[in-house]
Amino acid sequence: MDFAGAYSIDHLKFLLEGFGLTLYMAVIAIICSFIIGAVIAIIRYAKVPVISQILAVIVEIIRNLPLLLLIFFTYLALPDIGIKFNPIPAAIIALTIFEAAMLSEIIRSGLNSIDKGQIEAARSSGLNYIQTLWHIILPQALRRMVPPIVSQFISLLKDTSLAVVVSVPELLHSGQIIYGQKQAYLVPILLLIVMMYFVVNYALSILSRRLEVKNT
Amino acid sequence: MIVFSQVNKFYGDFQVLKDINLTINKGEVVVVIGPSGSGKSTLLRCINHLESISNGTLTVNEVSVSDKKTDINKLRKEIGMVFQHFHLYPHKTVLQNITLAPMKVLGQSDEEAKKIAMKYLEKVGIAEKANALPSQLSGGQQQRVAIARGLAMNPEIMLFDEPTSALDPEMIGEVLDVMKALAHEGMTMVVVTHEMGFAREVADRIVFMDQGQILEEAIPAEFYAEPKEERAKLFLSRILNH
Repeated sequence: MDFAGAYSIDHLKFLLEGFGLTLYMAVIAIICSFIIGAVIAIIRYAKVPVISQILAVIVEIIRNLPLLLLIFFTYLALPDIGIKFNPIPAAIIALTIFEAAMLSEIIRSGLNSIDKGQIEAARSSGLNYIQTLWHIILPQALRRMVPPIVSQFISLLKDTSLAVVVSVPELLHSGQIIYGQKQAYLVPILLLIVMMYFVVNYALSILSRRLEVKNT
Repeated sequence: MIVFSQVNKFYGDFQVLKDINLTINKGEVVVVIGPSGSGKSTLLRCINHLESISNGTLTVNEVSVSDKKTDINKLRKEIGMVFQHFHLYPHKTVLQNITLAPMKVLGQSDEEAKKIAMKYLEKVGIAEKANALPSQLSGGQQQRVAIARGLAMNPEIMLFDEPTSALDPEMIGEVLDVMKALAHEGMTMVVVTHEMGFAREVADRIVFMDQGQILEEAIPAEFYAEPKEERAKLFLSRILNH
């Protein structure tokens, strides 16, 4: 094991670039999937006719597929019907679609957990459905949803490593390139990668716990 | 003010309301009593369209409640409702619970809504709890906040759906006192309750329901002295001699 050689300045810079890309993909996918997931959840919660049934089917299909398959599909299969993406956008799109489906289920169950009496009280005071959703249901549901949503964000961040299969130069991919040069680099580099993922994800769990405490 | 005419309501094959004819006038306090499952809560909830009627006509201020063209939110501004389980918003303070609808529905300013809210909190006797969360209040206090929340919209009608049934016995009095005061001020009230003392003292009229039908309508003195219907006699003897 060659720690000194593995942790050279050039290698570290290279790894950090990879990690930067990992975080970039995760942040974009988190923002987009949260918005899409919330919209899907609200449409299904409000039982908007036809659209909510269609969304239910799509969500079920996506949730039950491996993410890896979605990434392959977006990058390799879509070009056959004329939709072509570079590896990074392809990976981000696949991640977003997958996580949106997962998040929509979390958000929907959070909305469903709010007592129907809350809706009746708000509606009987003259608030319309949207106002009731916005002022009464969503704020209460969001508080309950924080822990499962954050843990979904953590899986998303970890799942960005799957983009390695379509040669996105994210953290794991950068690591592979470095330890590909020399067997002695393998353990030191993998250890460093473990640390990087752990630090960010652990920070997210702490944040989630803080938010939880604040809400009780 | 509220007119039920030949109203029926079904849940599937089960008929919850049968041929309901009932007129409630402005300023009247009508108490609806009857055994559980008799349809009294459903009757009340039809008035502000939390439940829809299957057929017949139901009008509030000459506006049809079941008509699809009716702006139900506009109608609900005039009808306050108090629930058995309070249904205060747990994530909002007492004051915010009361000011939400006046600000969002009536378009009151924050300042104006707060002033009105405080007025009603004083009226129900818990102005000092304005900044507390509902979870910090006793059941009786929560129900009084719920009443203040209803009143803050300045409604013409107040509906009460078993407002004291979820309360500890010692807290029932404080809620009933607020309701009595309201009745004396001339509020139009429809109250579903098992509180016979309240009914006898405050009601202008008692409506006795069983199995979805109105079996008897009478002024309290007559009703309690000599109910006409056998079913009402039985109900009264059970509820008064327990």
